[in-house]
Amino acid sequence: MTQLGNTRVAFIETLTEIAEQDPRAALVCADSVLVIKGKAFAEKHPDRFFDVGIAEQNAVACAAGMAACGLVPFVATYAGFITMRACEQVRTFVAYPGLSVKLVGANGGISAGEREGVTHQFFEDLGIMRTIPGITVVVPADDSQVRHATHAIYRTPGPAYMRIGSGRDPVVDCDDVPFELGKVRVLLDHGRDIVLFANGFVVNRALQAAEVLRQGGIRPLVVDVHTLKPLDRQAIVKILDETGAAVTVEDHNIIGGLGSAIAELSVEECPAAIARVGLRDTYPRSGEPDALLDFYHMSVADIVQAAKTAIRKRDRGSQA
Amino acid sequence: MMNEAIRRLEDIARLIRIDIVTMIHKAGDGHPGAALSAADIVTALYFHAMNIDPAYPDKKDRDRFILSKGHGCPALYAALARKGYFPHADLVRLRSLDCHLQGHPDMNKTPGVDFTSGSLGNGIAIGLGMILAGRVGGCDYFTYVVTGDGEIQEGIVWEAAMSAKKYKVGRLIVFVDNNGIQSGGPVDQVSGLNPILPKWEAFGWHCQEIDGHDFGQILHAVENAKANMEQPSLILAHTVKGQGVPFMIGDNSWHKRVPTVEEYREAMRVLGGPCS
Repeated sequence: MTQLGNTRVAFIETLTEIAEQDPRAALVCADSVLVIKGKAFAEKHPDRFFDVGIAEQNAVACAAGMAACGLVPFVATYAGFITMRACEQVRTFVAYPGLSVKLVGANGGISAGEREGVTHQFFEDLGIMRTIPGITVVVPADDSQVRHATHAIYRTPGPAYMRIGSGRDPVVDCDDVPFELGKVRVLLDHGRDIVLFANGFVVNRALQAAEVLRQGGIRPLVVDVHTLKPLDRQAIVKILDETGAAVTVEDHNIIGGLGSAIAELSVEECPAAIARVGLRDTYPRSGEPDALLDFYHMSVADIVQAAKTAIRKRDRGSQA
Repeated sequence: MMNEAIRRLEDIARLIRIDIVTMIHKAGDGHPGAALSAADIVTALYFHAMNIDPAYPDKKDRDRFILSKGHGCPALYAALARKGYFPHADLVRLRSLDCHLQGHPDMNKTPGVDFTSGSLGNGIAIGLGMILAGRVGGCDYFTYVVTGDGEIQEGIVWEAAMSAKKYKVGRLIVFVDNNGIQSGGPVDQVSGLNPILPKWEAFGWHCQEIDGHDFGQILHAVENAKANMEQPSLILAHTVKGQGVPFMIGDNSWHKRVPTVEEYREAMRVLGGPCS
C-alpha cells in the first residue's frame, strides 16, 4: 500500500511559514481557498489573503498588480484554470514583465484529477507554461518536495509555476536526496544501462519499474527532473551520453512536458534512444488514480516495456 | 485660479495632440483616433491630479496610472515626455527597433510607465492589485485606469469590478474613454454593451458621467472620486474619437492609420503646431 501525503497542505503550511518571516508574501485565491487548504494561511495572515471569487484571469492580473507594488503573491487554484483560462494574463502581465508572481496549480496530471473527469484533470499545464519565456516550472514528486519547491520558488525572483496534486499524493521515499531548483535529483543508481527520467506523482512508478528492470538484469538510473524549466541541461546531457537510452515518465500529455523537454535536448546535444511514457495525446476519464494511470499506459509494466524498447533501439543503432 | 489651471491644461493637451499626430506620422504606425480621445483625461491626470515626481519615477507612494487601452499610448508617451521622464525627441522613433517606445506600453522599457498594457480588459484587475498591495504596505496612493468603452466587453473587467466592490477600493479610479467606436465599428453595432453606467452602478461602484474633453468636469470628477473612500470609482467620460483633428472625427479608418504629409500639415494647421 502506497503511503499518501498531502501536497496542498504542504504548500500552504510552507507559505504560511514564509509569510511569518516576510511581510511581502501573500495568497490570492479564486474561490479556491478550501481546494488548496488555504484557511490556515487566511487565519494567520488575513491582511494578505485575497479571494477574488471564481475569476482566475482577475486573480492572476490582480496578483501582477500586487507584485508590481512590492508583494510576492502566490496564486493558487486548479492547474488548468491558471494555465489555460488565465494563460494570457500569465504570459503578458506576469511573465513578460518578469514579476514575482508564483502560480500554484492543483490537480496536476490525470491521477491528481482522479474521479472528477476531464474538466478537472490537467495534463497540458506543463507544456503550456514551458512555452512561455521566463517562467520557472517545477513539478515536485511529493509533499516533502513541495515544501522545498515552495521555498525555492519564493526565494528565486521572477515568475514561477508549481504543480501540486489532489491532496492524496504518493510519498516517495527519497528525501535524503537534496532538492535544488534547476538541478536534477539522482534517486537511484544501479548503473548506466538506461535512465528513467521522471517527475511528479509518478516518480514512485519509475522507482518500481527500476527495481523490476534490475531484477531482470538491466541496471537503471532513476532521475527526478523536478525543474522542467530551466532544465538542468548539463547533467541530463551527461547522463544521456553515458546511457544512450532513456525513458521519460510523467503524468502529462506526452506532448509538451518532460518527454518533449528531454527529447528536444537530446536531439540538439546528445542523440539517444528515447521512449516516452505519459498520456498518449488523448482525453482520460474518471477513475481511481492508480487504475487511471495503469489504464492510460503509465503502469510500471509500461515503463519497463518502454525501457526495453529504448535499449533495443539504442543497441540496434550502435550495431548499424 | 481654477480657470487659469484649466487654460494651462488645455494648452498642454493641444501640445500633446500635436505630439500624437507628429509621432504617428513620423514613425509611420500607430492608433491616432484612440490616443486623441483619451488625450484630455491623460493630460488632466499627469499635469494636475496625480501625485508623481519624474525625478523619482519609482517612488513607492506615488500615484499609479494604467492605460488599459494600451493602443492609445501615443497620448501617454507624449505626456511622459513632456513631464520629463525621457527625452521628447524619442517620440518620433515610436515602434522602431532601437527605441524604448513599444507599440503598446512596456513598464520595463519606458521610464514612467507603471504597468504593461495592450491586450484589452486587464487594467482594472491590475489596478485593483496595486491598491491591495498599497494597503498591505501602508501606502496611500491612488491608481488611475483609463479603459476604452469597447474594451469593457472583456469578461475580466467585470470579474475585477466585483472584486473591487468587495474590497472597497476607494483609491481605484477608472475612466471609461467612451468614444463610442471600436476597431470593428460603432460599439452599438459590435456589442450589446450599452448602457454602460447602470452596469457599473449595479456592480456597486461610485459612478459619474462627464464630458471627457472638459477639464473642469474631469478635475471635478476626480475630486468627487477621491472623496469617496468606500467605493471604487467609475467615471464615464464621453469623448470623441479623433478629437482635435476634425478630418479624423467620424472616420473610423483613423482607429489605426498614418497621416500623409498633406494630412499631417492640415492637422498641424488646426492644432497650431510646427510642421517640420
